Amino acid sequence: MNLKSYLNLYELLENDSTAREENRAFGLSHILLKNKPIEQLLVWGNDHIATLQKPTLGDRFTSYLYGVSLVLVFVAFVVGLFSGVALLSYSGHEPVNVVYFMAMVVFFPLLTMTLTLISMFRTNTVQSVLVHVSPAFWMEKIMAFLPNKLQNDIKTLKINPLLANWVVIKRSQVIAWFFSLGLLLALLAMVVTKDIAFAWSTTLDITPEAFHGFLNTVALPWRDFLPSAVPSVELIQNSQYFRLGDKLSEEMIANASKLGEWWKFLAMATLFYALLLRFLMYVLSLIGLKSAVKKSLLSLNGAAKLLREMNEPIISTHALGKEEVFVPSESDYGQIVSQLDASYDVVQGWAISKEQLVVISDSKAVIAPKFFEVGGANSFEEDHEVISKSKGEVLFFVKGWEPPTMDFVDYLHELCLKADKVVLVPVGTAENHYSIKSSAVDVWDRKLSQINEVKVWLKR
Amino acid sequence: MAETMSAHPKFAVVGHPNKGKSSIVAALAMDDSVQISDTPGTTTKQRSFPLRVDGKTLYELYDTPGFQRARRVLAWLEKHEVSADKKHEVVRAFINEHREDERFNDEVQLLEPIINGAGIIYIVDGSKPYGKEYEAEMEVLRWTGQPSMALINHIDESDYSQEWKRALEQYFKMVRTFNPMQAGLTQHMGILESMAQLKEEWVAPVKASMRLFEQYHEQMMDKSASLLARLVYESTSLVEKLHFTTEDASDEEKEKVENNYKNRLRKLELDTQNKVEHIWNHDHLEVEVKDLTFEGMDLFSEETASVFGLTRKELIITGATSGAVTGAGIDLLFAGHTLLLGGVIGGVAGGVGAYFGFNELSEVKVLGQTLGKRYLQIGPMENRNFPYILLGRALYYAQKVSKRSHAKRGEMELEMDSTFKALWLDDEVRKTLEGYHKKFRSGKEVTSEVLKEYEIVLKGVLEKLAKA
Repeated sequence: MNLKSYLNLYELLENDSTAREENRAFGLSHILLKNKPIEQLLVWGNDHIATLQKPTLGDRFTSYLYGVSLVLVFVAFVVGLFSGVALLSYSGHEPVNVVYFMAMVVFFPLLTMTLTLISMFRTNTVQSVLVHVSPAFWMEKIMAFLPNKLQNDIKTLKINPLLANWVVIKRSQVIAWFFSLGLLLALLAMVVTKDIAFAWSTTLDITPEAFHGFLNTVALPWRDFLPSAVPSVELIQNSQYFRLGDKLSEEMIANASKLGEWWKFLAMATLFYALLLRFLMYVLSLIGLKSAVKKSLLSLNGAAKLLREMNEPIISTHALGKEEVFVPSESDYGQIVSQLDASYDVVQGWAISKEQLVVISDSKAVIAPKFFEVGGANSFEEDHEVISKSKGEVLFFVKGWEPPTMDFVDYLHELCLKADKVVLVPVGTAENHYSIKSSAVDVWDRKLSQINEVKVWLKR
Repeated sequence: MAETMSAHPKFAVVGHPNKGKSSIVAALAMDDSVQISDTPGTTTKQRSFPLRVDGKTLYELYDTPGFQRARRVLAWLEKHEVSADKKHEVVRAFINEHREDERFNDEVQLLEPIINGAGIIYIVDGSKPYGKEYEAEMEVLRWTGQPSMALINHIDESDYSQEWKRALEQYFKMVRTFNPMQAGLTQHMGILESMAQLKEEWVAPVKASMRLFEQYHEQMMDKSASLLARLVYESTSLVEKLHFTTEDASDEEKEKVENNYKNRLRKLELDTQNKVEHIWNHDHLEVEVKDLTFEGMDLFSEETASVFGLTRKELIITGATSGAVTGAGIDLLFAGHTLLLGGVIGGVAGGVGAYFGFNELSEVKVLGQTLGKRYLQIGPMENRNFPYILLGRALYYAQKVSKRSHAKRGEMELEMDSTFKALWLDDEVRKTLEGYHKKFRSGKEVTSEVLKEYEIVLKGVLEKLAKA
């Protein structure tokens, strides 16, 4: 798991077109990963990596980063080397003050490593000053000089700040390490090629004994197994240098051969503080970066949706096929009666009892000699008998709220063979005084339009 | 029997034409694509609505055409004098004989799933009187020998359910009332529970389906909360830029960048509404309805602020509280040596900020002066009230969509009044939300953990609204 995995997943999710079913199938086929979202994302990313155009964003970005880092590392190494040479150069007037070199290989690394540690705890902050002061932060500024296409890639990329901060921290450790390596090599080269007279000098009132105590503490990590790399009190006394006075000419010159002994201490200080501790910081930053990649994977746009699609069962309730529906014509029925006659030859009711028919007819001020119930619970024989008795004009009451069924239509066709005219009257319930909504009559209107029976009239 | 061929339970929704079969299927299957019409005979073919989880069917619901010639079918069946245990074979013979007969298309379509093992859900309209003409179809269903239940649907307001119950109880094992237009999850589960009781073998799979439906509901809630959280976060942190080359930006350019900003916010809201509809399987809400959504209640109107936003007093309290929290942090840092002045000063500063932040959305700033590429920028949202307005509207919409029956067709009614706010926004929720809104407004990257926490708060609100 590294920055490249993050970037590849970033690119995959940005261009993701996988169907939900496909993602769920993936989730089911990797059921052991169910409660491990990061692993799920990584395995999914690996499975889909082939769909990305080569080189992938991960390849391109890490390649830029590598290139720029390499330049910075080289620059840091050269700067370290020259700094070392400059610090160890003997002017001919004054000896080389070890305090300057110690500042570069002990105090400065300790300070920057402390700042790095603090910044490691503040990696969530977008605008982290501690991160921004790092030379690695300026890598992106260097990238501004890259060709346009490369720049566009980087501009559109939105890396999680947590991850970006860790990338900077990790690269900073590498750069600092190579800077220190430059210092060490400079020290070794100078020691081999020149005769350096080391000394120490300070304005502060520090006795050689106190300074020895301090150096003994600095040399704590190696003083037991490499005592020669710890300056003795005598060496410290001999190498104390005052710019004013005549001490240099006598004691220092007398012990000139011993003054060079300082190099072992300086080399070990560089090795331990500037290189080994820095390496540990680098290891820490690797761990931090890995953890940041993990966290950042979950923050990727689309990651939550993908995980949900992998882990949630697909529940569907809808129909599989397309619905076949009958769409009736909207034409109005042409044969409409607006006023009922005072009398008819026969009154019939579809699933309406004879008693109810009498009451309904009365309410409509219609009289008739014969009333028949048809349909409903009647047998077909009973209906045929009613038809045989139905001649002339038939007033046919139907329950307006019930839609016309084909059973009714069959009967109507047969009735029309015998009757001269059929006036169909949709009625409402007794509670509503047999009045019916016009929308219900519309249903009957549409049905009559479809069956096109010339003897049938509709009362509206 | 064919029933043994497939393990999952099946249920055929049957009945007289126009009694709401398709409405009930739409509600139970949560599918708003089902054609529902007041014209009888709209449904011409049986249609299966399987409840599937990862491709596996747990149960299957069939929408069927209504009975058209029930008396003729019954007359045909009764011609065959057989013992009760052979009656279903006569029904099968009827289907086989009339499969190509146009006259009995509807009967073949509705009887086929039943004779293949589906339980019967017979639908009647309890708002209309019982009639003898129903007896033929109920008798035909009895001939199939399949377990059956009746559902009394109420299409209108009148109530004839007692007379219906008396008749239906003579034919069906169970009689229940179900209004698909108003049915929520509880009623839905109630009907499934009844369906499970139709046959012993169906109890386990239907109960599993019930649990699944609850899980499905939970999923929908989660997804809605996630969408709403994203909407508020993206809207609040949105930034709109407009480059200009002249010496100074003109008023038109400032107006343009502000309009672009508002339009992007409106689009985010509309996209979220569409996604919420999709989550709740309401993909067929009419397009014109969407256009009418919040008509006269623009996201940036005073009306919408008064209905969904915080009052000036609430806003000052919210600002003061969040300011005081920061101040209290200062007190804590100095172990109380500030004599708790931090809290007081923070409270006053927050309150004043909130007061002045009531009307303006965000300042239009001129940026990039030193680099030569000058541009106007508006956003992230500075108005403290805006997230509440946006969230209120989104919650309102999500609540309406989630509670809308899939049997309903036509426009979704949106009657907004200030009582809605009281349903979800109390002091505690407001304080919790303000903490997140502050983070969103800061323009800093918000981690997935913070968004997840915000989602959980919103899910709680949605659940509260679902119960309201």
